[in-house]
Amino acid sequence: MSDDKTTHFGYQEVPVGEKQERVRAVFDSVATRYDLMNDLMSMGIHRLWKRRAVEMAGVRRGQRVLDLAAGTGDLAEKFSRIVGPDGEIVMSDINEAMLSEGRSRLVNAGVVGNLDYAIANAEVLPFASDSFDCVTIGFGLRNVTNKQFALDEMFRVLRPGGRALVLEFSHPTVAPLARAYDLYSFSVLPVMGKFVAGDADSYRYLAESIRMHPDQETLLSMMEQAGFERCRFVNLTGGVVAIHRGYKL
Amino acid sequence: MDQDDSDAGTQTTNEGIQIPDAMLATVEGAINAVLALDAEGAHRLAPIQGRVLLVELAGFGTRIYVVPGESGLLLYGAYDAPPDCSVRGTPAALLSMALSEHREDAVFQGAVEIVGENRVAQTLGEVLQGLDIDWEELLSKVVGDTLAHRIGLQARAGGRWAQRTGDTLTQDIREYLQEEGRLLPGREELRAFLTDVDTLRDDVERLAARIARLAAQPRKS
Repeated sequence: MSDDKTTHFGYQEVPVGEKQERVRAVFDSVATRYDLMNDLMSMGIHRLWKRRAVEMAGVRRGQRVLDLAAGTGDLAEKFSRIVGPDGEIVMSDINEAMLSEGRSRLVNAGVVGNLDYAIANAEVLPFASDSFDCVTIGFGLRNVTNKQFALDEMFRVLRPGGRALVLEFSHPTVAPLARAYDLYSFSVLPVMGKFVAGDADSYRYLAESIRMHPDQETLLSMMEQAGFERCRFVNLTGGVVAIHRGYKL
Repeated sequence: MDQDDSDAGTQTTNEGIQIPDAMLATVEGAINAVLALDAEGAHRLAPIQGRVLLVELAGFGTRIYVVPGESGLLLYGAYDAPPDCSVRGTPAALLSMALSEHREDAVFQGAVEIVGENRVAQTLGEVLQGLDIDWEELLSKVVGDTLAHRIGLQARAGGRWAQRTGDTLTQDIREYLQEEGRLLPGREELRAFLTDVDTLRDDVERLAARIARLAAQPRKS
């Protein structure tokens, strides 16, 4: 994909240099209503998906965790409570609006002290190699222009023994569910986006970008290509979402 | 690599009855709401923050991972980190350990098995038992300060009355059984009886030792 002149932005083909800007525009537009929309769109199930990701991360006291595409900080908040004052969480997002939204939400919730914030592009992380026990990216990888670069970088900043988790929409494994899901995401989501967040196009992009995201097996092999070992994935809600995990050994 | 379609735990085996995640999330919310009522008490969780405690219900195979935060608990059905401490017992044994004042009893009797850093379970138990919840404050949010205070006064008076009545009743029953009905021995009688048993046991042991010694002596013809 890195050699292509164009890349996909939802179902459209756009020049590689343009995708980042367009994704930024989408998230600038939805930042303030992001949490509400997540709850509405997933009917609250996204909380269970994130719980599962925390379980699989198995973070413990004193560890250093990097949460990429942290958005409004649902994962970072849990990790911050777990690692305690001896640990550290770096909450990172490429989008300033989302990160500020997340930051003010966490400060208001009293989650402070062991949290740092960094505006960073997941493809070129501004962190030292071998410096984190766990790196997570929740519902963010599909928006990254070059996903392989991002996985390579996640591998680089991990300490040996550390693990990376990719929580992302994926491809339903059950045919009837897949049809219902298509209907839902192309008919219901944009309408919901229009009424709640005042922006149908951004939510159409979200639905399209999910379809263009690599399926479970492809993403697994991309992780292996990045150098991860003991890679596996778990399908949640019939494959609507999958969690991929790999270790740097 | 492997893939896993089910909702199975990742590294742990998943036999037995596991509690659905949604229910654990609800229980977690309820526990944390109670902990929030005694913020000072809940902050005593700090020393064990981020430790992993595994509670296993024997007989059901149910596993609950408890990860304390700074002032609340996180509950998970599976947690991919080796537990710092695991506590295993039947629900009844775990409950009676949690409620009793002498927690070591349950462990010594073998009803509850603790592996790993006992301090984690100990601290958690102490925090939960030591919570000083201001029910009146909680009630005042629903019915207002004045009414909550009145209800509180009544409840405290009622509590004292119940306590007094309970104490008196216990004492009366004990007196009847020991003195009137002669159904149970009094404290002094019991002590004397136990002393007698001890003396008798020692005598028997001495006699046995003596017989053994005599039997072992070579016969003098």
